[in-house]
Amino acid sequence: MDTFLAALFSGTSRGAVYALVALGLVIVWRGAGVVNFAQMGQAMFSTYIASTLIQNGNSYWIGFFVALISGAILGALLDILVMRPLSNKKRTELLSSESMRAAVPVIASLGILGVLQALAGIIWAAEERGFPAPAAQEGFAIGDNVFPFTSFDLFVVSIVALTLTLTTLFFKRTGVGLAMRATALNQEVARLSGIRTNFTRTLSWAISGAASSLAGLLITPTSNLSPNTLDLVLIIGFTAAVVGGLDSPAGAVLGGFLLGMVIAFVTYYASPEDVYLSILGVLLIVLIVKPRGILGRKDSRRV
Amino acid sequence: MSKAAKTPSIIRRSLIRTLLFVTLILVVGSTFEPYNQAQLAVVLIYFIGVLSVTLLTGISGQLSLGQGALMAIGGYSTALLMTNYSISLWIAVPASIFGAGLAGALLGIAAARLSGPYLAGTTLVIALAIPSIANRFMSVFRGDEGFQVDVGYPPNWFSNFFGEPTYEEWQLYVVLPFAAIALFFASNLLLSRTGRMWRSIRDNETAAALTGVNFSRQKIYIFIIASTFAGLSGALYGLRGLVGPSIYPVALSLTLLTAAVLGGIRSIFGAFIGTVIVVFLPDWIDLALGSFELSEQVSNFMPALVSGLLLILTVVINPAGVAGGTHLHKHK
Repeated sequence: MDTFLAALFSGTSRGAVYALVALGLVIVWRGAGVVNFAQMGQAMFSTYIASTLIQNGNSYWIGFFVALISGAILGALLDILVMRPLSNKKRTELLSSESMRAAVPVIASLGILGVLQALAGIIWAAEERGFPAPAAQEGFAIGDNVFPFTSFDLFVVSIVALTLTLTTLFFKRTGVGLAMRATALNQEVARLSGIRTNFTRTLSWAISGAASSLAGLLITPTSNLSPNTLDLVLIIGFTAAVVGGLDSPAGAVLGGFLLGMVIAFVTYYASPEDVYLSILGVLLIVLIVKPRGILGRKDSRRV
Repeated sequence: MSKAAKTPSIIRRSLIRTLLFVTLILVVGSTFEPYNQAQLAVVLIYFIGVLSVTLLTGISGQLSLGQGALMAIGGYSTALLMTNYSISLWIAVPASIFGAGLAGALLGIAAARLSGPYLAGTTLVIALAIPSIANRFMSVFRGDEGFQVDVGYPPNWFSNFFGEPTYEEWQLYVVLPFAAIALFFASNLLLSRTGRMWRSIRDNETAAALTGVNFSRQKIYIFIIASTFAGLSGALYGLRGLVGPSIYPVALSLTLLTAAVLGGIRSIFGAFIGTVIVVFLPDWIDLALGSFELSEQVSNFMPALVSGLLLILTVVINPAGVAGGTHLHKHK
């Protein structure tokens, strides 16, 4: 029973972070038609900025907010400097085919990931360092029983819940959110109805950058920080997004929690070595049964 | 031109290319120091793996980030055959291709249903998961310790005839025939009807289907063929000394893709140029920056930084890569 509870709580708190990562991927996929493999590289970079600020004596919260803002700025810069020129080039011969049009931004994002990781190594050295948590990392005690759920876990789950609510409200209730949804649905029509699609594209990169930076801040207290620590989180987040449906923000959240649970239960009941194979297993099962993901739209084949 | 008259000319063209390639490597290799000869052997090994990316992504439009996993399958097949059954490498390496081809068939069946980023992500997860099997089934694959295998020593008739080569030189001579065969096959494929069919799938699946190409079946063939290239490359890669999970990391798959894109993702010549760039880049950077006395922290990351920047610049400014436009128009 104790193992079960421990797995359940660990799955919830890890799942919340994976949901955030998957949401970041889905926002850029919907808003810009790119699966951004550099996303957790961006998160790693802004977490290093927070870490440096905190080590120099600033409060955790200054580091926290600076990381979110720099994550958003970095995301926007990457779109303006790399992805926008790429999408404007679409008419050349090499990019004329459908499949290459989808492949080239992925390749570019892998290049960005390499550059960010190398830069982080050059600026901050490659050694792992710890990252502080804003709340205690000991389990709640009720009587003599120590619950396998910490104040930090509670913080993670509530801040992710808050972020998900805010993002949903932003997309459903604001004009800009509506414009972004229209762009995701049909870029050509959106542009014809007066939406500045370049702006909404960049905005989706910025929102995704901030969301994934938040994920970086929430996961590094337990995983430590190095240029490569977040690679695995990206792969899990991607699997979560595909499992839920790359087109569906709600699916991303569902997929994130599902993956969190699978990983927690495999870790507690089998062994950590089986985690990678179980991720692959979940991905293959979903792709065979529902290739568009659990909540994905059937007609949404964009490539 | 009739079909009968055309086929020999394709084979002849491929043979000429292969002979030129072998001559070039032998001439250049003989002028090199042992250190550079070992690097040249790595170029040839990577080249075979990069050819698999060229066939898969450049020619057929299937973006795979998991070629490293297929390399691992080739490497482990060879190591198991050589260690457990004491089979000579000249039999074990070709045999390991079947293991990789089988894995490629499974991957192809899955890939026939996937497109674009779905395929890229799935193959990335595969690249992560496959090497972890080594730790899951310790008794068979020996976990992190892996298998120690190498190219051994040249047979007597070789030493008697050509003189005693250094270990690095022998490594180069072992790898060269495999690279030559891979080049010959790749060149034949690209020039043939099959190559044109695969390009038609890349350019427009619907149009390809309308002209009678069964693209689901062709995708499976593409994956089988590309996987045999990757398996061969992985088998030879392991023969540098060790076959273990650390030898085939996710980064290896990305290195192959980087090489293919930098050189020119649509041509064999580009694959070779890209491989040379990726393998020799660290040395070139050392040469260029040697006088600046950079700290180790900076110089360790310079190759990764430069190759990442080159990758971004290539796709943004010149997606056709170094090998560029001429090949492109010919194949269109």
